Amino acid sequence: MEKALQLANSYPVWIFAAIVIGIVIFQAIVFIRLATRTSQNVGMTKQEVQSALKVGAINAIGPAMASLIIAISLMTFLGNPVTFMRSVVIGSSATESAGANLAATAFGTELGSDGFNEQAYTTIVWTLCLGGLGWLLVTVFFTKSLGKMQEKISSQQGSKRGSLMAIISSAAMLGVFGNFGSAELLKGVTNAVVIITAALFMFILLIIANKFKLNWLKEWSLGFSILAALSVGFFII
Amino acid sequence: MEMSNKALVAEEIAANPKVESLEMEQFHQKSHFWGRLTMWAVIILSVLLPLYLSFVVGYHPGWGPIVAAFIAYAAMVGYAWVIEPISYYPTLGVSGTYLAFLTGNISNMCLPAAAAAQNTIGAEPGTKKGEITAALAIAAASLVNIVVIAIIIASGSYLISIIPSSVQATFQFVVPAIFGGILAQFAIKNPLYGLIAVITGIVINLTPIIPFFRGIICIAITITICLYLEKVKARKKSVA
Repeated sequence: MEKALQLANSYPVWIFAAIVIGIVIFQAIVFIRLATRTSQNVGMTKQEVQSALKVGAINAIGPAMASLIIAISLMTFLGNPVTFMRSVVIGSSATESAGANLAATAFGTELGSDGFNEQAYTTIVWTLCLGGLGWLLVTVFFTKSLGKMQEKISSQQGSKRGSLMAIISSAAMLGVFGNFGSAELLKGVTNAVVIITAALFMFILLIIANKFKLNWLKEWSLGFSILAALSVGFFII
Repeated sequence: MEMSNKALVAEEIAANPKVESLEMEQFHQKSHFWGRLTMWAVIILSVLLPLYLSFVVGYHPGWGPIVAAFIAYAAMVGYAWVIEPISYYPTLGVSGTYLAFLTGNISNMCLPAAAAAQNTIGAEPGTKKGEITAALAIAAASLVNIVVIAIIIASGSYLISIIPSSVQATFQFVVPAIFGGILAQFAIKNPLYGLIAVITGIVINLTPIIPFFRGIICIAITITICLYLEKVKARKKSVA
């Protein structure tokens, strides 16, 4: 176990992880620059650009903190660099944790047991790295065709089709959250109370923000709603 | 000769900052280029790291356990490799897809961040302004996510020791709270559509469908109903 962790926290592994994390950071910065340069042409003001960045930043804190417990338990088995790398490249802490268990079992040992050696660790790295490739490869190969399909839909019959795409996009987004929200809603009373609290708070905050034109409140509305829902959850459990 | 040409372009850019701005088409072209480049780089590194551990350091566990573990992992999430990029595409757009599928946490971080930002600015998903807004929000979210994870990794178990366990227990509610908040945001804009999405979601989650396909079925049904309602609305308008 100790030897496996020595390997897992060794410099070469850190270097691989650092480069991968660096690429994710680089990509985010490139897209912020590209989007900022395009913003004027789609009728966005500088303030709106700032606002979009701010809302994105605010709403990453909750989900990132939510992965705290799993990330820390993963660190004790997988070491710091691989946990870091797998947490910021596609795949969630929960999936990675399950994948690590599957790989340890396939090797014939368990996470954290005496038999967890360097080979077991290597099996896990293979599994998690190859497992994450699926999304990356599909995205790399199919996004361009999806983009062409979208262009076809929006270019047909000018503006009418353009609004068709807007309806499809909004409805798709609603479908995504309708499905996930309902799944959580049906998980139990506590979850249902949490969801309804968040929804009520969001409702009230947005109505206030819209009425008094408080842009900052709009920016923070989801963050505040999450905090309110967590507070309620705190007292229920 | 070449130098003077370069200087001329530089002067032009300095004199007219608009030269630097991009049209949407150029934005998509550049998104494909940089999106693919960064993804290929991560793909290659994702193969190099285990290869390094196996054959350079010499801890190859044999192909048996690797293949067995990979098949088990693929059985767990393999459907998502194909279904997710396609079903999230209409909401993410070109740039959002490259961003979200590199950084991950799509349903709990990228999509909510994009939706909240679009709502703040008043940009509709699926429009040009909507896509640029989503790209900015997701990229910023990705960066903050990295910073928070870095703090978690650096602090190690210290962070867990200073946060009371009763507070830690509430972390499980972050994701349901996000879904509740975002659903409410949509419901304010269009109560009927919000209701349709929730009802469809509940019905789908109560019917014995394989969980893999619930998401895409829910998206398909919601799109169909909304398109139908828009058609009815348009017809009413034209009659009136």
